Amino acid sequence: MTRSLVLRTPGDRWSVKLNVRVLVVTLALAVLLAISSVLALASGSHPTSFVDVLGTLANPAQSELTLIILEIRLPRVIMAILVGGALGSAGLILQGLVRNPLASPDVIGITSGASAAAVLFLWLGGVTGTSLLLAPVAMGGAFSVALCITALAWQQGISPARLVLVGVGLAAALTAVTTLLLVLSPDSTAMNAYIWLTGSLYASQWHDVTALTPWLALCLPLALIKLRHLDAQSMGEDMALGLGSALHGHRLLFLVLAVALAGSAVAYAGAVGFIGLIAPHMARRLVTSGHTGLLPVAALIGALILLYADWIGRVIFIPRDLPAGIFVAGIGAPFFVYLLYRLRRNLG
Amino acid sequence: MLRYAGFFLIATCLAWAPTASAANSVTVVEHALGKATIHGNPARVVSLYQGATDTAVALGIEPVGVVESWTEKPMYRYLRQELQEVAYLGLETQPDLERIAWLAPDLIVGASNRHRTIYPLLDRIAPTVIPGNVYDFKALLALMAKATGRVARGEALLAQWQARVEDFRTRIQRKLGDQWPQEVAILSFRADHARIYYDGFARTVLDELGFAAPVDHRKEGWGIKLTSQESIPAMDAEAVFVFMDDDPAVRRTYETWSSHPLWKNLQAVRQDDVYQVDTVTWNMGAGIIAANRMLDELYRHYNLEQPDREECAQC
Amino acid sequence: MLTSLLARASGTLFCLSLLLMATVSSLVFGHIPVSLDMLVASLMDYDPGSLEHLVVRTERFARTITALVVGAGLAIAGVLMQTLTRNQLASPGILGINAGAMFFVVIGATLFSLTSPSELVWVAFIGAATAAFLVYFLGQEAGRGISPVRTVLAGVAVTALFVSFAQGLLIFNQDRFESILFWLAGSVSGRELNAILPLLPLFGLALLVALLLSRQLNLLGLDDEVTRGLGLRVGHARLLIGLVVIVLAGTSVAMAGLIGFVGLIVPHMARGIFGTDHRWLLPMSAILGATLMLAADTVARMIIPPQEVPVGVMTALLGTPLFLYLARHVRKVS
Repeated sequence: MTRSLVLRTPGDRWSVKLNVRVLVVTLALAVLLAISSVLALASGSHPTSFVDVLGTLANPAQSELTLIILEIRLPRVIMAILVGGALGSAGLILQGLVRNPLASPDVIGITSGASAAAVLFLWLGGVTGTSLLLAPVAMGGAFSVALCITALAWQQGISPARLVLVGVGLAAALTAVTTLLLVLSPDSTAMNAYIWLTGSLYASQWHDVTALTPWLALCLPLALIKLRHLDAQSMGEDMALGLGSALHGHRLLFLVLAVALAGSAVAYAGAVGFIGLIAPHMARRLVTSGHTGLLPVAALIGALILLYADWIGRVIFIPRDLPAGIFVAGIGAPFFVYLLYRLRRNLG
Repeated sequence: MLRYAGFFLIATCLAWAPTASAANSVTVVEHALGKATIHGNPARVVSLYQGATDTAVALGIEPVGVVESWTEKPMYRYLRQELQEVAYLGLETQPDLERIAWLAPDLIVGASNRHRTIYPLLDRIAPTVIPGNVYDFKALLALMAKATGRVARGEALLAQWQARVEDFRTRIQRKLGDQWPQEVAILSFRADHARIYYDGFARTVLDELGFAAPVDHRKEGWGIKLTSQESIPAMDAEAVFVFMDDDPAVRRTYETWSSHPLWKNLQAVRQDDVYQVDTVTWNMGAGIIAANRMLDELYRHYNLEQPDREECAQC
Repeated sequence: MLTSLLARASGTLFCLSLLLMATVSSLVFGHIPVSLDMLVASLMDYDPGSLEHLVVRTERFARTITALVVGAGLAIAGVLMQTLTRNQLASPGILGINAGAMFFVVIGATLFSLTSPSELVWVAFIGAATAAFLVYFLGQEAGRGISPVRTVLAGVAVTALFVSFAQGLLIFNQDRFESILFWLAGSVSGRELNAILPLLPLFGLALLVALLLSRQLNLLGLDDEVTRGLGLRVGHARLLIGLVVIVLAGTSVAMAGLIGFVGLIVPHMARGIFGTDHRWLLPMSAILGATLMLAADTVARMIIPPQEVPVGVMTALLGTPLFLYLARHVRKVS
C-alpha cells in the first residue's frame, strides 16, 4: 500500500495526490545533487578550495579565481544538470511511449539526426562564420528526423513497434552519413566532430545555459501534467481509449516532448548517449510509481550521472579534458549490469 | 648654465615621451572574429595553436603558455630550445581554460577552426586575436607583430622571407629553365591510407615559391585520402614531395605502395624526383620559422646554393 | 513470399545470377578500366606484365573475396542472432560484437601502434570474442540458460561500455585517430590476400555448422518449453550457435571493420522472400548478403573517384530504403 499525501485547495476545487516515497526520493536526490554541484564547483584543473568557492559565490570580485569559478565552472556544472535532466526525462517518456525497455533517444534516431546535422555543419566549416548556430542546427536535425520517423511510421496512427523499427533504420543511415563526413574531413574538423559525437560539456558558457533553460522550463511541466496518459496506455489501447485518453494525439505529444528535450540537450552537449536509456531504469529501481512520479526521479538521476561523468572527465587527466560522454557509460553500464542480475524473469 | 638646463630638460622630456606613449598606447587589432583592444605591449602571451607558437618564437617572445604539439611531444624539437619555461595547456582541440585564466595573460592567440566556440570566454580572460586563415603564416606574423608591439621585428622577418623567396625563384628558374614552373604534388602516407594535399601550409608556401600544382590537384578542399593502390595514378606530377611519420606501420605502407608497378609508372618516379621531407616543418609547424626551414630543405633537394643570411637570431 | 518448391528454386536461381553479376562488376569496375575480355584473360591467360591483369589479380580479387565472405558471414550471423534472441532487431552491432572488436582494435592502435589490416585482424577477432562471451554470461538466467531479453540488454550495456572506452582512448590519443578511421567506417580495400586466406577455412567451417543446424534453428524460434518438449537440447544448441556467430561476425569485423547494416537488414529481406525455414533462409541470406556487399563496394568506388566511400557507409545508404519499406509492413515485432 503506497502511502500518499493529498493536498487540497480550500473548497476542494483542486487536489493533488502525491506519493510519499516519490517525494522522499526526489528530495534526497535533489539534496545529493546540490551537494555534488558545490563539490564539483570546487574541483578543476586549477586547485581551489571549498572556502574559495563559497567566498566567490557570495562575493564575486574581479579576479582570475572569479573568472574560473563563475565563468568556466559554474555554467558547465549547470549545463551538466540541465542536459542530464533533459535526457533522463526524454528517455523515460520514450520508453513509456514505445513500451520497450531498450528505447532511448539514441536508439530511435533522434541523437543520430542531431549528430548528422551537426557534423554536416562542422564539415561545411560553419559557413555563416559563427558557430553559435551549431546548437540550432543540431536541434533542427533532431526535429527533422523525428518528423521523418513519424511520417514513415504513421499508418492510421502511431504504432510503437513501427516507430522503433523506423527509428532504428534511420539511426543507422544517419550514422553512416556522419561517418562518411568524418572520413572526408580534414583532421582538425574530424576530431572536433568526433569530440562532439562523444558528448562534451567543454567550454559551456552562460549563453548556452540561457538558451537551454526555456526548453526544460516548457517541456518538463507539460510532461508532468500529461504523463498519466502514458500509464493509461500501458494498460492497452482499448483501456486507454475507454478511460478517455486521446490515444494518437497524446502519443504525438509525447513524441514531440521527448524530441524537444533530447534534441535540445544533445544540441548543446553533443551526442551523449546512454543516459536516456539507463536513468529511467534506475528510477524504476528506486520508486514504484506511475510515470508522473518517475519523471522527477529520472530527471534527477540523469542530472547526477552527467554531473559526475563531467566531473571525472575534468579532473582525472589534467590538463586534458576528456568528454563526459566517455564516463557516462563507465558509470552507467556497471549499474545496468547489476540490474540484470537482480531482474525478475518477467521482463518487457 | 640655463642653456644646458634647458637642453637637459628638453632631452629628458623627449626621452620620457616615447615610454609614456608606449605605456598609454592602445592598439586595436582587427581579426577574424572581432576586435581586440590591447593596452601597451603584452608581455604574457598564450598561444593556442602550433602556428602561433612558431610565430611567437620568431618574434622573440617566450609565451607563458602553449598547447602541446602533435608529435615530438611536448613541443617540436625545432622550437623546444626557446620554450623551456612554458606551461603546457593540453591539446589544441581543448586547451585547459582554467590554466589559461590562472596564467593571467595579456594576449591570447587562437585558431579559427578550433577556438571559435571558446572565443567569447577567451576574450573575457584576455584580449584575444584569431587569424582568419590557419595556413597564411604571413598574415599571422603581421597580426601578432601588431598585437605584441613588435612591428619592426615582424617587418624585418617578412622582408627577409621575401628576399629568400626571390632568390629561390631566380636560382630554380636558372636551374630548371624550360621546365619551370614545375608541377609538384604533396603526398603523405599513413598506416592504412595515403593522402594528396590540395591545400594546406606546404601547398601555400610552394605556391608562393612559384611551383605549380597538377591539373587534377587544383580543386577545392583540403585534399583526398586514397585507400586503394589502384588510385596511384591520381598522384602523378613532375615532382613529388612525400612526408610521413616515423612509424613502422607507415613505413610498411609506403614500401608497399612504392613497389607497386603503378607507382613506378609515375612521372616523378621515372625522373627520380621523389623527395622525402620533414613532416613537422611541412605539415605541422605552420609559422614563419617552419616556412624558412621548408625553404632550406628545398634548396638542398634541388642542389641550389643559398646566399649568406644576415643575422637574425630566430630565423 | 515464395512458398512452392518451384518458386523457391527459381528465386534461388535469380539470386545466384544477381550474385554472379555483382561479382563480375566488382572485378571489372574501378579506377583502372578493365573490360570483360581482359578480365577473362587475366583469369585464364595471366600476363604479369599487363597492368590490367595485375590490378585484377591483386586489388580486385582481394576486395571481391573479402566482400563476398564478409557479406555472407554477416548476413548469416544476423539470421542466427535474430533467431537466438527472438528479436528481429538483433544484429552483431547490437550484441556487442562490433563494439568489442572496436575496443580492442583501438587499444591495439593507440597503445601498441598496430595499424595495418593484417595485424588488426587478430586483435579484432579477440575483441569480438571477448565481448560475445561477456554478453553470453551476462545474458544467462539462473538455471535456465540464455534468456533472449537479458542477452539483448547485456549487449546494449557491453556495447555502450566498450564504445565509450574506445572513444576515450581515441580522444586521448588524437594523433592515432585518423589512422583507424577507415577501419571504423568499414572498408574492404587495401586488404592483402595473404592476410585474409588464413581466415577462410574458419569461415567455411562456421558456415557449414550453421547450415547443419538448420533444423534446430527452426525449432528455436518457438517458446522454450515447446522446444524442450520436442527433444531439442536448448542450452547446447544455443551455445553452439553462439560460437558460430562469434566466429562469423568476429572474423567479418576483423577483416572489414565495422559494417553494421548487413546483419540487420539482409535477414529481413531473405525472410520476406523465402520465409522462415532456415534450410532456405540461411543459404539465401548468405547469397543476398554477399550480393549487397559486392554491390555496395562497387558503387562505393565509383561515386567520388579517386576516393572511395567506406563500404560500411554504402551498405547503410543502400539498405535503408529497403529496410524502411519493410518496416512499414511489419505486423508485430517481439
